[in-house]
Amino acid sequence: MSAPIQIYASGDHYHPVSEALPDLKELTQQVTGKSFRRIGRFIQLAMIGAARCTNLSVPKESAVYLSSGRGDLELTVEIMTELFARAQTPKPLGFVNTVSNAACFYVAQLLGLQSRSNYVCNRYFAFESVLQLARNDLMMGNVNSALIGSIDVCTHPLTDHRQRLHLSPHTEMGEGSHWLWLGTEDINRPALGELVDTRHFNHRDELLQWTRTQSIASLALSRGQFVGDQDWQFIVSHIDHAAIFDYRSNRGWYDSHSGAVIGDFFRSADVATSLLHINADDCGRFNAIFVKHSS
Amino acid sequence: MQSCYFLGSALHTSLGADSASQLRALQQPPTAPGSVIVHYADKSQTLPYKLLTGPNVEDASKRLNQVVDAVITQALEAAQLSTNERAATGLFLGTSSFNINVVEQDYRNDLLHDSHALVMAHCSSQGIFGHEVRKRHGLNGPDFSFNTACTASANALIYADAMVRSGRLKHALVLGVEMCNSLTALGFHGLQLLTLDTMKPFDKSRNGLVLGEGVSALVLGNRNPSKHHWHLRGSANLCDTHGISATNPDGSVVAKVIDMALHHAHLQPTDIAAIKVHGTASLLNDEAEAAGMRHVFSTMPALCAIKPFIGHTLGACGLNELLLFCAAANDDFLIATPGIGNNSVEQGDTKLGVSLNQTQCTLPPGNFLMNYFGFGGNNTALVISNIRANIKE
Repeated sequence: MSAPIQIYASGDHYHPVSEALPDLKELTQQVTGKSFRRIGRFIQLAMIGAARCTNLSVPKESAVYLSSGRGDLELTVEIMTELFARAQTPKPLGFVNTVSNAACFYVAQLLGLQSRSNYVCNRYFAFESVLQLARNDLMMGNVNSALIGSIDVCTHPLTDHRQRLHLSPHTEMGEGSHWLWLGTEDINRPALGELVDTRHFNHRDELLQWTRTQSIASLALSRGQFVGDQDWQFIVSHIDHAAIFDYRSNRGWYDSHSGAVIGDFFRSADVATSLLHINADDCGRFNAIFVKHSS
Repeated sequence: MQSCYFLGSALHTSLGADSASQLRALQQPPTAPGSVIVHYADKSQTLPYKLLTGPNVEDASKRLNQVVDAVITQALEAAQLSTNERAATGLFLGTSSFNINVVEQDYRNDLLHDSHALVMAHCSSQGIFGHEVRKRHGLNGPDFSFNTACTASANALIYADAMVRSGRLKHALVLGVEMCNSLTALGFHGLQLLTLDTMKPFDKSRNGLVLGEGVSALVLGNRNPSKHHWHLRGSANLCDTHGISATNPDGSVVAKVIDMALHHAHLQPTDIAAIKVHGTASLLNDEAEAAGMRHVFSTMPALCAIKPFIGHTLGACGLNELLLFCAAANDDFLIATPGIGNNSVEQGDTKLGVSLNQTQCTLPPGNFLMNYFGFGGNNTALVISNIRANIKE
């Protein structure tokens, strides 16, 4: 139960979306080396991110944990519109691909995996949710290698998309696919760092109490996209000597920003040796992810 | 490592919302499905369905919340959780459709007033349903919404159990939800997987599945239950990359996931007293499941199927079928489907090589296997047990 969880690799794809949604078919083929027919951009993004994270080489026993704020919204919107506005019933493959774990299937097929796969979502803590479950599986010895991903896509046109997400009309938008490869120490390769912990807190005070028990020298602090100003100021004022790690200022809106923070941190040299990422929901619950660089 | 037990549960399916009705129905032969008229644009389609018994509420949102809230309340009361314990309880929702029936209703209503209405204008978040349910019941622990097709609530149970065993949570509420919606019904209709008849898994005349509604809740916790000692003894989940809509018909992946679950439970195949099959009554899936079980079990344990009674409740079937199996076992019987899946040499499909239990028999405490296979290659096997001696107290 006590073996540290190593972070072996991260891989991402992010692009801002200003109007037209980018065609990802060519990029998918370029990154994966394979050609796929009849899959949408959500699944394409899953494969691009997972392929970049693993460089197409990962133990076949690796489990897949995928999350999203909205799932394959593009496909769901298309099928619902066709059905209720145009009286077109779902086509078989389109319908089957509406299952959220379809993306897990394609990732597992691409990487030749034979292990667990799960799709789990949460309104505010999408990435954090799968990270918690994966960590628990690794700690309990249920798996020794895990790919954790989060994906969110836009829908066209963006005016409709913003309205659907209840965002203001000028919100900058983006799409992202963010992946981590975690494992126990018995995977024989150098690690980027360590996942020290990821935890849910029912209240801000519980979070702050927990931070006091952690060894957080040379700490960077990152703000999850759902943490309110007041909460953030309070948290920052109670954690001494922490640098602020900004991974969001040039990022358009999508629901699973948290998926990007760990990869960005490990790519940013000399910010700090450890990172505490904090996110919140609208009920005063919090989540913390604590990682540190390999020494 | 903590222990984890089933502390309280509740269930509402087409068999009723109370255990007495459900047990009565499980002791009768399964009945043919009713039907539902699915409306889309200016068209409609009548499809077979096993709908919930009540509530007689037309508004999809009110109906969904009413059923879910009643089931959760009943389960929490059965588990006798205090207010403080509830506040720290995590929610593990398993569903294939979330609240899509409500999203559909909203869009249809909007289209009545504006033919260019925005689809999913009111709700486009997958996690919001679990978030709202959690809030209504004062569950402030973490919430996870599993969306892995027909294995969703079985997977939710695996992870809820793991979070309690690891000591991260003292209590977890596992919730399975599946309500009738047009997208799912027409999707299965388009795949030509539906039958108007009673579902007949493993039967030579099997011709498809019937969709069903169902909502179930199970409270897990690390304290010793007062009466029945059910617990998850082992489990496995395995992604089958053979095909996105069907598992490998040679049964190899089914066999592997069962083997993994037995290994996780520290059991041999001979330790399994009965199997609750997935049994979708489709040609290839039943072949694959039968082949997988034949591979693992040289002597086949008793097999029972629950979908003929309640339909295929998709993402909720993991918990719905498990709770019905446990309810029958608590009442000391193994569910039988007389005349369905009887593959005796004289009258059955001997190619399958397995038969469903034909007559109700007693079921002493034991270890039981639960099979679940879903779209997206998601395969799950659970080993549950009500043997008290298993429990480290």
